[in-house]
Amino acid sequence: MKNFSNKYMLIYALALAAVVAVVLTIVATSLKPRQDRNRDAETKQMILKTIGINASRDDAPELYARNITECNLNTSLPYFTFDNGNGIIIPLKGNGLWGPIWGYLALDCSGNVVGAVFGHEGETPGLGAEIATDNFAKRFIGKEMAEHPIYLTKNADKDNPYQVDAISGGTMTSNGVTAMLEKAYNDYSSLITNHQSL
Amino acid sequence: MKKIDIIKSPFNKSNPITVQVLGICSCLAVTAQLKPAVVMAISVTVVVALSNLIISLLRNTIPPRIRIIVQLVVVSALVILVNQVLMAFVYDVSKQLSVYVGLIITNCIVMGRLEAFAMSNKPLDSLLDGLGNGLGYGIILVILGFVRELFGNGTLWGYPVFEKLGLYNIGYENNGFVIMAPMALILVGIIIWIQRSRNKDLCEKC
Repeated sequence: MKNFSNKYMLIYALALAAVVAVVLTIVATSLKPRQDRNRDAETKQMILKTIGINASRDDAPELYARNITECNLNTSLPYFTFDNGNGIIIPLKGNGLWGPIWGYLALDCSGNVVGAVFGHEGETPGLGAEIATDNFAKRFIGKEMAEHPIYLTKNADKDNPYQVDAISGGTMTSNGVTAMLEKAYNDYSSLITNHQSL
Repeated sequence: MKKIDIIKSPFNKSNPITVQVLGICSCLAVTAQLKPAVVMAISVTVVVALSNLIISLLRNTIPPRIRIIVQLVVVSALVILVNQVLMAFVYDVSKQLSVYVGLIITNCIVMGRLEAFAMSNKPLDSLLDGLGNGLGYGIILVILGFVRELFGNGTLWGYPVFEKLGLYNIGYENNGFVIMAPMALILVGIIIWIQRSRNKDLCEKC
């Protein structure tokens, strides 16, 4: 076996790390626009889904431009309108158990939920990750965001407009969703009430 | 060993999954459908082949005491590259594979081939060995993905095969059990069984 000096090993390791870093930087930077386009289209797909339009990734930007109007996008309280301004879509952002969770809630002019969609970065598959399914999102339809935030609870009362059934085995993620809805309610309640009076 | 044998043997008598029983974790996780299985197979093949080639080229310069670290750096860099390319070109599949692309780094096949082959063989042989092992792993993944998607979902590559054949009208129902991870292990077991009954060299002497 050849003998390598400590100095050689150190320089070898540093040089290798430097080469790898440069290559990865170049690739990441050159692919970024393409990845951003994919992410952007995915967001648009999610928003369209709240108003019942199932767009493919390719169609999403065009359908989005036709159906959705962006408002206050560069402020801390961005929202979207649809149906010629009669409905609003509010974005949700929060924390699940393992990482960020997010979603969009579409409300009609009286504050009723007409559609919802949720996403997550790394919740537990089969448990917390269930929030990203249509089955979970459907539970929000017909609920209200007018006077009180919607919250997730065990054995939710179907007739209570503020209760939604939580996910069994996904308590931490469910709590995250509740917190996210409460924050959105606090942030957007004036917008929701103003919108009602229009 | 002849070049053709280097690339051929991982398909049979030294298959990474069915003989060496490496890379089982990912083969359970990504084979519920055909498409992610194929993408995973291609990704692993690219990573094993290229890391084998690179390590083989560097093999005489790598200080033995830090060789594992050097191998890991090369493998990680390649995996990140693959992940970036997937996110840019097949975004849906990359979301579906999620953490499993990153976990190629820890796939025993990759480090196993680097240690066992690339560190002591010429670059061309190492490249072939990597290709062979990646594809040998991939073929099992594709078989599993094919069976599990067909019987679990009634589709292939998203195309509703059983619906078009009219099987649902005569009372057929999808087998949800096939979608779950244990079934992948059982299928691997069946493949091993078939392989061993055909190839007596693989059977241990008692």
